[in-house]
Amino acid sequence: MYYINACSTISHQGSFQNESWINELKIVTNNSKLITPNYKEFVDAADLRRMSKIIRMGIACSKDCIQQAEIDNPDAIIVGTGLGCLTDTEKFLHNTLTIEGLIPPTAFIQSTHNTIAGQISLALKNHQYNMTHTQNSLSFEHALMDGMLCLDEEKDTVLVGSADENIALMDELSKSFNWSEIENKLTSGASFFIVSNAKNNLTKVQLIDCFTVGLNDTNPKALITSFLAKNNLSLNDIDLVLFNSNGTLKLDIIQKEFNPISVLSYEHFCGYYFTNVAFGMHLATEILNKKKTSFITNNKPVHRILLYNNFNNKNIGLTLLQALEA
Amino acid sequence: MKHVFVTGIGVISAIGNNCEENLSHLQKGKTGIGKAIHLDSNYAKLFPFGEVKLSTSALKSNLNIAQKGLTRTDLLAFTAVQEAIQKANLTAQEISSENTAFISASTIGGMCLTDQLYQDANSISKSKEYVKSYSVSAHALKIAENYQLKGTIDVINTACSSSLNAIMMGTRLIKSGRATRAIVGGTDALGKFTINGFNALQILSKNPCKPFDKYRDGLTLGEGAAYLILESEEVVGKKNLYAEILGYGNSNDAFHPSSLSEEAFGVVAAMNKALKRATLSPQKINYINTHGTATENNDTTELTGIKKIFGNYPAFNSTKSYTGHTLAASGAIETVFSIFSLQQQELYPSLNFETPISPFNQLPILKYQQHQNINYVMTNSFGFAGNCSSLIIGKPL
Repeated sequence: MYYINACSTISHQGSFQNESWINELKIVTNNSKLITPNYKEFVDAADLRRMSKIIRMGIACSKDCIQQAEIDNPDAIIVGTGLGCLTDTEKFLHNTLTIEGLIPPTAFIQSTHNTIAGQISLALKNHQYNMTHTQNSLSFEHALMDGMLCLDEEKDTVLVGSADENIALMDELSKSFNWSEIENKLTSGASFFIVSNAKNNLTKVQLIDCFTVGLNDTNPKALITSFLAKNNLSLNDIDLVLFNSNGTLKLDIIQKEFNPISVLSYEHFCGYYFTNVAFGMHLATEILNKKKTSFITNNKPVHRILLYNNFNNKNIGLTLLQALEA
Repeated sequence: MKHVFVTGIGVISAIGNNCEENLSHLQKGKTGIGKAIHLDSNYAKLFPFGEVKLSTSALKSNLNIAQKGLTRTDLLAFTAVQEAIQKANLTAQEISSENTAFISASTIGGMCLTDQLYQDANSISKSKEYVKSYSVSAHALKIAENYQLKGTIDVINTACSSSLNAIMMGTRLIKSGRATRAIVGGTDALGKFTINGFNALQILSKNPCKPFDKYRDGLTLGEGAAYLILESEEVVGKKNLYAEILGYGNSNDAFHPSSLSEEAFGVVAAMNKALKRATLSPQKINYINTHGTATENNDTTELTGIKKIFGNYPAFNSTKSYTGHTLAASGAIETVFSIFSLQQQELYPSLNFETPISPFNQLPILKYQQHQNINYVMTNSFGFAGNCSSLIIGKPL
């Protein structure tokens, strides 16, 4: 059994250290801004100067999670990131093309994807298992699955999260990717969680399972049915499907597909970044934990939420959460 | 817990394009480090490199693949994956089973084409295939498409320890029952971005690297790829078993963004965890394939860590003196070399060593030694951001 004991998210919603953020959800528009905390409360000012947005977000969310979960230090730090540290990568690349002679190495050191998890371990003085997964839209699910493996092995409490940052260049680049189907604003975000194998009085929800298919060529609905069956459940047991609204995944299609189950796009509330499913997991946790039923047709109680992360019908991530009393 | 065996291996590096060529170089003590010919950079004149001895177009024509826009990183990966699959005799059905996971590793990805990437990005002109390759997982998705992989496809980037962690992840997926087979390893090609980076850090040696030598003055960058086929005991049948994965440990040094602590916290913790999981006492380890980058910081720290755990040093070498530091590929390449030692029951000399580092006064393996009794081998990989990993393999019983 896996339990989510703490969540922390930096997004467009003012979600950071704000208990009531799901009551004030706003659709992300081209003009809306990422709402960031005062990072000085989490990082020493001298260190902060060197840190790009993605590292700042990762450290702030991690420290917030640890505080919420009332633990000293997690038994593992696992991060998923789709494109890693773009600011430092671009900075170093730019420097190599423009600076004659010796180039400062900091941006290079901070350009690798594992900088986020590494800087978190440094900030927490944590010598435990430390891992970074990067596989496009499934990076967060793989971090989460790794966390579940850790809990199946010998660990009790793991910090699992994701972070991605957008740089101006990406808006240009995305036009040349097959990303034309992305309808939501390209942006940044980070969400971290404390996942444990033990329930305590801080536990918010139960994480039942997480599963990915890297190169799907079958009907996603069949995958979902078999994923639920593996967990002795069927679609009738799901009260809400939280999905990312990309390309062919239009609301009306998904609605028809899952009818009569309620569906909701998490991506409208966080914008697009490769690991935004972690935002979806935080949203799902809040809905289940606060018994928020306004998203559900007929205001039925909500016990189970399926997170359905589908990119181009090829990369599919499925995550299943359950309310504690269910 | 299920036993996990290695049933296939594939490698391409500066000392050969397949297992046989790599083994032969190790046996002869012949390095692959020298002047880079295929690298299109002024750096080719300034530093030696462990370059794969095939041009990008030769790599492509050796493989029978229709896919477009393949980078050197991709082609190295394809080459090693193909060899590993052949050696393991995996059927197309086994490869495409949803129970076959693919866990890869890369730090550079399509960044081996940084110039094209950045100029493309700024002008949004041609070669868009290469722009798409920026992501470090691009190579894995291309391999997945080619082999019609249906299971978990994951990519790890923990800098220089990436592919050792990929082996660890695949092993854990099998042990937990989430997969029955896994194709695991890593790939990195030489690229200006990383050369510029290590040059900025001032840790590139002007001469072929001298691991564990008192007068070492930095690393030599290399390129390559290696992949292993891991299979659960339930499905290996009567296959040839190359090794068993016995232990693995991962720890963060949590000391500095790009160097290891003098006390070797992370190094010691990773090796200790690997021994604990393998339920082996340090004395059982017959040989360590070290991380041995030949930087001032790494070699001293690694010797400190080994001393803390082992007291007396087991036989050790750094095969980076043959291949250069192949970054994300290094852990998998060095695991394949460790498998050679297990299989052949022999040890290969560490090259370019003259003077031991005080106060350790330890000599790496200096001669090709046959007819050894080797049952357990440890492989170490450490990376930027404090990522330390250690793997223990053993002769399959």
